[in-house]
Amino acid sequence: MKKIELLSPAGDLERLKVTLLYGADAVYIGGEKYGLRANATNFTIEQIREGCLFAHKLGKKVYLTLNIVFHNEDMNGVDDYISSVVDCGIDAFIVSDPFIISYIKSHFPQVEVHLSTQASTTNYKSVEYFMNQGVERVVLARELSLDEIADIIKKTGIDIEVFIHGAMCTCYSGRCALSNYVTNRDANRGGCAQVCRFAFSLDGKKDFTFATKDNNLAKYIGNLIDIGVRSLKVEGRMRSLYYLATVIGTYREIIDRYYNHTLTEDVLEVLEERLARVANRAVSTHYLLKEADWEDQYYTGRNEASNQDYLGQVISYDKKKKLIKFFERNYFEVGDLLEVFTPKGERVSFVVRKLYDEDGNLLDVARHPDNIYYLYLDTSIDIVEYSMIRLFHHKKEEE
Amino acid sequence: MKVLVEVGSKEIFRYVDKCDALLLGLEKFSVMNSVTFSLEEIFDIVSSYPTLEIFVKMDKNIFNDGIEEVKRVLKKLNAISIRGIFFYDLSLLELKHELSLEVDLVWSQTHMVTNYRTCNYYKEQGVRYALLSKEITLEEIIDIVKKSSIKTIVEVVSLPSVGYSRRKLVHNYYEELKEKGKSSLSVLEKVTNKKYLVKEEDAGTFFLLDEVLNGTSVISTLYQENVDYVLFREEGIPSFMELISDTKKYIHDGCIGEDYINKYKKLGDSTGFFFKKTIYRVKK
Repeated sequence: MKKIELLSPAGDLERLKVTLLYGADAVYIGGEKYGLRANATNFTIEQIREGCLFAHKLGKKVYLTLNIVFHNEDMNGVDDYISSVVDCGIDAFIVSDPFIISYIKSHFPQVEVHLSTQASTTNYKSVEYFMNQGVERVVLARELSLDEIADIIKKTGIDIEVFIHGAMCTCYSGRCALSNYVTNRDANRGGCAQVCRFAFSLDGKKDFTFATKDNNLAKYIGNLIDIGVRSLKVEGRMRSLYYLATVIGTYREIIDRYYNHTLTEDVLEVLEERLARVANRAVSTHYLLKEADWEDQYYTGRNEASNQDYLGQVISYDKKKKLIKFFERNYFEVGDLLEVFTPKGERVSFVVRKLYDEDGNLLDVARHPDNIYYLYLDTSIDIVEYSMIRLFHHKKEEE
Repeated sequence: MKVLVEVGSKEIFRYVDKCDALLLGLEKFSVMNSVTFSLEEIFDIVSSYPTLEIFVKMDKNIFNDGIEEVKRVLKKLNAISIRGIFFYDLSLLELKHELSLEVDLVWSQTHMVTNYRTCNYYKEQGVRYALLSKEITLEEIIDIVKKSSIKTIVEVVSLPSVGYSRRKLVHNYYEELKEKGKSSLSVLEKVTNKKYLVKEEDAGTFFLLDEVLNGTSVISTLYQENVDYVLFREEGIPSFMELISDTKKYIHDGCIGEDYINKYKKLGDSTGFFFKKTIYRVKK
């Protein structure tokens, strides 16, 4: 049986590299046009080419989102754009518009087309429609249960991709224009203003809100593997390097441990705790096991906690001097308990004993994000570039 | 150009001579309708009102357990003389192909019918009509009509539908408050100060802008550009029967004069996106 794919978002070239190093089998990216994250950094043609080269050297894949709902004007130049992206070596396009699907399949049959979740595909007969149009994979609607997904796989045999982690829409993807009406930003062309996270007034009552909790299917990865899902997708092309390193690294471990039978309940608990450390909203499994209900929503409008765990991104490690060189991201002090984790999944925790600035001055605190600092750490693990430093406990919390 | 009406009443005789075509929500398969019809009722309407073109609305998101029922219904509708079926879910198009059904389909994917190339694609797939999205401009509509061979339908008067969720959003709201509540709400968006209706039904919850889309002023342009149908949705529209009757006459007379337009300024000044282009890039 082919091992399930772990598919990560990547908002830029650096994120693409980091997330592949942390264990993603493939990444999905947006170009400068035609993707549903118009306000993300996104990739130029040259960056797409570089991303594909980087991924392919690792034996991994890159998919490009081309999943807006096209207006007439968007059709101008899309043929040339597709051709340029194919020339970069892209492995698949993620598309929702059936005309674009037919265009790609007739002009570039060697390139895979994956049907975007924007098409809100909820049944096997719709899947068959798109199979007949040449689609190789379907990213199902997020409104489906485990049984419904299994039934679709059984009846169609097509590669199925399922969202396992990240933000959720309140409405069916594509069937929502709240953003258009409230903010004039076109939800189906990448401008979604997330109006479903706004609070609306209701005469004499508590504000009406209908935002959803985030999706987290960590507990059910084994079930998804067992029913024959082909790819597990993490949401979040606008997420940080640290978030991707943590989430992708954690799901890598869950998947690998499931295959080698070492995913015990205790281990899973630790891994879920790791995911929880980077979450900025509460999580739920939404439709996977039951019809989504009131517990899958927020009732307070926007509700996002900021996270200060991410302390630094490693630039290098000098094994002789036992010094980690890193970019600071958040405040910490000598005496704090930290953890370093690497793209290979190794991790070491330690109490900060010695901290230096770039001039070698000994410091008590690292207080300037983006500055370069040095940390003393005597360890045998292979700390490489893009390893991450995070907080376990502030010294003061323990006192 | 014909006047198509999504009915808000089961008294079909009221519409005779006042419009050209009716859109009937099929019970269990259409969404966002205050009135729906059983198959038997539709059969009866088709045979009783031969001067009216009948379209049937099956625009629900379909799940695996509904496919066999969709198949059964499509076969029955295929046997009678209806003009077409409005569909959202692609399973309907797949079943039309698979079962070699002759009944015509109307591509009706709410916010996604936005360009001429995809209209032409659907035409090649055997879809005869497209209900264009309300979120595109008049200029875009005209461009689609010019560049596409599909028959076009443009929604001109309605309380515009804005979103559809599978979730029971109203029920959930009251559940969280631990109260018993209604199945519909009127809520106010605080920044724009606009009201929205939030309504719950078996298939989920939908949002309507509580402000009439008044496209009466663009009807003459649509007529000149050879749009095939203009759609009026009855729910929430005051003096509806008079409106459609006047519209039919206005079109019959070649959309000449300002009287009709002046009269229906009373529906309000919201022209939706006919003259307003959405944006999607907010950063450079």
